Amino acid sequence: MGMTQRGRVLRVLLIVVAVLLVAGTAFAIYLRGPGPTDFAGGQKVALAEYKDTNPTSIPASKKSADPIQRGKYLAEAADCLVCHTTPDGQQYAGGFAFTLPFGTIYSTNITPDKETGIGNYTDQDFLAAVHRGVRKDGAWMYPAMPFTSYTYMTDEDALAIKAYLFSLTPVRAPARANTLTFPFNQRWAIGLWSAVFNPNKRFQPDSSKSAEWNRGAYLSEALAHCGECHTPRNIGFALNNRKKFGGGNAGGWLAYNISADKGSGIGNWSDDDVAAYIGHGHANNHGSASGPMGEAVSESLSRLEPEDLRAIVAYVRSVPATSSDLPAQLAPPAPRSHREGFAANARGKQVFEGACMSCHNWDGVADISPYATLTGSRAVNDPSGINVAQIVITGSASWSENGSLNMPAFGQTYSNEEIAEVANYVTARFGTQGSSLTERDVASLRRQSAQ
Amino acid sequence: MSQRQLKINGEDKTVDVPDNMPLLWVLRDVLGMTGTKYGCGIAQCGACTVHLDGRAIRSCQMPVSAVGSRAITTIEGIGKTPTGARIQKAWLDEEVVQCGYCQSGQIMSASALLATTPKPDDADINAAMAGNICRCGTYVRIRAAIKRAAEGEQPT
Repeated sequence: MGMTQRGRVLRVLLIVVAVLLVAGTAFAIYLRGPGPTDFAGGQKVALAEYKDTNPTSIPASKKSADPIQRGKYLAEAADCLVCHTTPDGQQYAGGFAFTLPFGTIYSTNITPDKETGIGNYTDQDFLAAVHRGVRKDGAWMYPAMPFTSYTYMTDEDALAIKAYLFSLTPVRAPARANTLTFPFNQRWAIGLWSAVFNPNKRFQPDSSKSAEWNRGAYLSEALAHCGECHTPRNIGFALNNRKKFGGGNAGGWLAYNISADKGSGIGNWSDDDVAAYIGHGHANNHGSASGPMGEAVSESLSRLEPEDLRAIVAYVRSVPATSSDLPAQLAPPAPRSHREGFAANARGKQVFEGACMSCHNWDGVADISPYATLTGSRAVNDPSGINVAQIVITGSASWSENGSLNMPAFGQTYSNEEIAEVANYVTARFGTQGSSLTERDVASLRRQSAQ
Repeated sequence: MSQRQLKINGEDKTVDVPDNMPLLWVLRDVLGMTGTKYGCGIAQCGACTVHLDGRAIRSCQMPVSAVGSRAITTIEGIGKTPTGARIQKAWLDEEVVQCGYCQSGQIMSASALLATTPKPDDADINAAMAGNICRCGTYVRIRAAIKRAAEGEQPT
């Protein structure tokens, strides 16, 4: 091969590499898409330059709280507890399982234990973890830790949370080993992922929006991380903000569309309904929060000050409509008699009349409390039946202001087949379209939500 | 804690209890009306069944604050309703009861059924009674008694 020929090959190779790089970068930029608050379209300003009330930190009514209490409020707003605690375990000691198609990730101990927790973390170490997803030992965290959301948190707020965590009793609880398969067990790859998907920048208010909206944006994006479950993910497993709040999933449950879409989202809800749902876990005629959302209400949202709840409502309601394939029309109450309405599926009916009817009634409108009313809830108006099956398996605890109501967990008493059939019956009788879950589907749902 | 008025078996009662106290506790522990039984506490056995405006509900799962102005009927008062009286007579005629623990709830569910469905068939009885559990297994006699009450003459 002559010099000129070799040079030509090299040139072609270089061009191919350059084209691939440009195409790859363009694709990465496309995939990354808009940021979480970009839909608002206004001008973003640095926090220091924002003229109105500071949207970060704790609410004005809590300003007199001591530093640890401030950190507690923020830690609750960020809902650290639920993912860093197992159902029977000690608070913040980790071990909560995230079951993914390619293995299981376990959360870690964030009590101040020096050996197994974060007791040796400096302020800089803590900020690197929260903002960039990097551990003290330099390893990357999996984005089950929502650092692409927490990255918007101010240093001051993140360190207030650290102060609160460091005020807790240290618990000795070594991390459980993840069971991810190749290539997902290659932590270094998360570095590449983060380069594309973690903006690694702090919250910037939108100067065209009200102080309340900006407070809601900070609470929803930097702390409560609503989008981590309610926004669908792209092929890179990152949030696709082109369909912001259009519906996603969480631990084997569906996190429904909370965009302004009138049919499949919450566009037809009143502000009070949204506030009641996130603040108390229930809005009349819209059902009750269960599963991961029930936990988010009980451990996080219900603990926020009323003005913060209102700010979240103002912000969430401003997110533009994204339609999803859920039925736009919700079914009215079923007939009062078991003879009328949906009557097929003898097996599902048998389970329902023995275990469910005494609270939910044949019409789906509960006498004991609106919290137990099925009519109008998204779960029964979802033809997948997934959340109905999960509620049957795990039960549902409600956080009513005037009394708690609990639906027992039926996962141990009914077989997968029975749970599939009762979910199919319930969605057919009380919803727009019946589901067609099978025994195998329910087995899979159990695995996904298991701890 | 808050004071609230409850209408029970036609009488007005005032109770001072926490809002989230189950109606069953109010009936048994506060008002001493122990005819209504505590079974499972999770609305899975039916022993605590009472009526709210004539509909059968599980009082163990009902926060007292959710009752509102609705009229409560318990086993102590069901005999004063026409269907309740017929059901109780049929229960005696068929000698339904064995240990009796679940029977207040059975009678309450059966009389609510008969009030809306005067001539229930087996499917109607299943639909109304499947959530009322009887450990003695008196189900066959319960079914017979409901049918006897449905066919029987109105007591005078």
